[in-house]
Amino acid sequence: MLSINFPSLLTSSVHDIKNSLRVLRTLHAQLESIYQDKKHIEFKQLEFEANRMNNSLMQLLTLYKIDFAQYSLTIDEHSAAELLEDIVNQHSTLLSLGDIQLITECDSDLLCYCDSTLISNALCTLVNNAQRYCLSKVLLSATQEDDYVVFCIEDDSSGYPENLLTSDCKKLPELDMTTGNTGLGLFFAETVAQLHVQADKRGFIMTDNNSRFGGSRFKLYLP
Amino acid sequence: MAINLTSKKILVVEDQAIMRETIKHILGAFGARFIVEAENGINAITAMRIDKFDIVLCDYNLLRGKNGQQVLEEARFLKLLPVSAIFIMVTCEQSQEMVLTALDNKPDDYLIKPFNRQQLLSRIERCHARKKYLASVENEIDNGNIYQAIYNCEKLLQLDGKKMRLQLLKMQAELTLKVGDFKTAEEIYQDILHERELPWARMGLGIVAFFLGYYDQAIKIFQDLIEQYPVMLEAYDWLVKAQESLGNDEHALSSLNSAVLLSPQSILRQKKLAVLADKTDNLSLAKKAYTATIKLGKNSIHRSSGDYSGLANVYLKSNAASEALKVLYELNQQFHNDPEAKIRAALLETEIHQTKGNKALAQQAYNKAFKLSEQFNRQISRELRLEMAKIFHLNGNGEICDEILNDLVKTNIDDKAFIKNLVTMCDAVIGDNYAETLIQHIKKELVDINNKGVGLFQEGNIKEALAVFEKAIIKMPDNHTILLNMIKIIIHDIKTSKPDPEKIMSAQAYINRAIQLGIPHNQISGLQTELDTIQYKSHQ
Repeated sequence: MLSINFPSLLTSSVHDIKNSLRVLRTLHAQLESIYQDKKHIEFKQLEFEANRMNNSLMQLLTLYKIDFAQYSLTIDEHSAAELLEDIVNQHSTLLSLGDIQLITECDSDLLCYCDSTLISNALCTLVNNAQRYCLSKVLLSATQEDDYVVFCIEDDSSGYPENLLTSDCKKLPELDMTTGNTGLGLFFAETVAQLHVQADKRGFIMTDNNSRFGGSRFKLYLP
Repeated sequence: MAINLTSKKILVVEDQAIMRETIKHILGAFGARFIVEAENGINAITAMRIDKFDIVLCDYNLLRGKNGQQVLEEARFLKLLPVSAIFIMVTCEQSQEMVLTALDNKPDDYLIKPFNRQQLLSRIERCHARKKYLASVENEIDNGNIYQAIYNCEKLLQLDGKKMRLQLLKMQAELTLKVGDFKTAEEIYQDILHERELPWARMGLGIVAFFLGYYDQAIKIFQDLIEQYPVMLEAYDWLVKAQESLGNDEHALSSLNSAVLLSPQSILRQKKLAVLADKTDNLSLAKKAYTATIKLGKNSIHRSSGDYSGLANVYLKSNAASEALKVLYELNQQFHNDPEAKIRAALLETEIHQTKGNKALAQQAYNKAFKLSEQFNRQISRELRLEMAKIFHLNGNGEICDEILNDLVKTNIDDKAFIKNLVTMCDAVIGDNYAETLIQHIKKELVDINNKGVGLFQEGNIKEALAVFEKAIIKMPDNHTILLNMIKIIIHDIKTSKPDPEKIMSAQAYINRAIQLGIPHNQISGLQTELDTIQYKSHQ
């Protein structure tokens, strides 16, 4: 019997795809600077999709490392406002189209303790999703709630589907073929949140449809 | 836009022309007028020699020659970057790990490719704001005024700055470690850990334990950290130091080897691994590490002829004289106009011919080494001089050997690690009591000079006393006792005559030198306070 070590096969493939994607994204950035005067919507959408793919692949690799206990957390103090600003900046090209508003709310003095690469990657993907499903607005905020710093993403979409609200995020939800929702973003966020521990407290996530704009709401709690 | 790029000198180091264009375009749109481009490391260094840049954007993966890290190391080493300059390393995700594992010389920030204009600008802006905020501390560090830097840290901490608090505390702790004020450093780290378990603060405690000589305690802390954060390379580096200090070279070697496996591109770790493996007779590992060091050194400021002779010596030890000869050839090819390399080559040639039994050729090579060493004796490193002393002794030139050893002991009497190496060499090659007698003799000589100076000082003959110490300091620039007494007398002199800015400056320079040499905090801090008081009064 031929034995296929699927996890390691998958990681090698993901690395390959990621390398190609890097070249693709670089080429895209160059093309954009050549054709900068004309506002081609396709360019911006291309960047959006490429970033989305890249985020997914990064999550896959990180999850692989966590699964095989190869991931080393780098916890330090970070400014929550700067973390949010980085996420907005990453989306700035698409936002410049102007049909979607990404609003941030955060006290400039708010500090959080986390592995910023992981957290920003988790939030980026979810903001990405919010942008896909919202009508016109996404609100990104960070606040202190008791012993936790809470990152919150709210939008004016029609809300999370049932399977993403009720299911346990610690398990990957069943793939919904009709909508294409994989729930991978949420699963990643939950996994990453759990790595953050302070004294007897552990990070976690929550999803509901109580957004201020009537759509879905995602909350990430960091101790 | 908080930062105006119009007046900023910017260097863009990037091998792809189209990428340089893109970056230039973004910067130009935000007002930048003075932008210099470099497509490789050598051009980047040349550009930095000509202009003092405010901002350097440097790609890590440069196609040919030096990589971004090597550019940064060289620029810092040659002091081509002003303290206020921002150096941002541009990487792709794939190379990020490699960049983060560098042993020292960290850039101000990283930027992951590809990035859009907003990401680039925000990175520059943040670095700029941070640099500006920390300027009062970083400028003093750059001038070597560590006590003033600590004071400025404290001042900033009092001004609130919740956002920067932890960063300031981290800096303050590192500075107090530098001047040997371990108690304060420990307090800072403990306070932080009391609030929250942060790996760097925990490591700080380990470093304090190391400096206080509690090696077992230090080792425990570093090992726990590594277990929890398996890629925390700094913890490995300190673990190695602690294990070495305990004399446990085998354990140190194994820890260092793990660190090198995680960061194979770090030349300084490879170099250290090579030396330690050689010392513990792990010849195949030493060969591998020396070879890696030589390869990494091709584009690095850390390249040294010592790596070549190290490798050749390992080959000699493993009875592979012809391999050693190949390395010697390579050494001669790689280094021109470098006296240290020429001497190493000549010494190596001597040994190779001796092993091969070519007496005449060995003698010829030895004569060459001898001539070169007479010519360049003082310009070469102490490690090589020690090696030469050994060879001279073995070849019957005892007198020159004595002369070199005498000088080495005199200038390095306070450096325990070096003196230990010297004693080991003497015990093995010359004879059991040789080094001990020499050291005792020089210590007595020092006491005599000191007594003479202090005696003159007590008689009130300040000028003569200063002259005695000044003369001694030229001969033994690194001697702790002489340096401290010199500072005391200058300060006394300033106090009893009218304040003289030149004398104050000279006292401060000697204090900075004392800190550099690692003279303990309790011996320097009192002198610094006295000098500060004088300065304060003279400004009134």
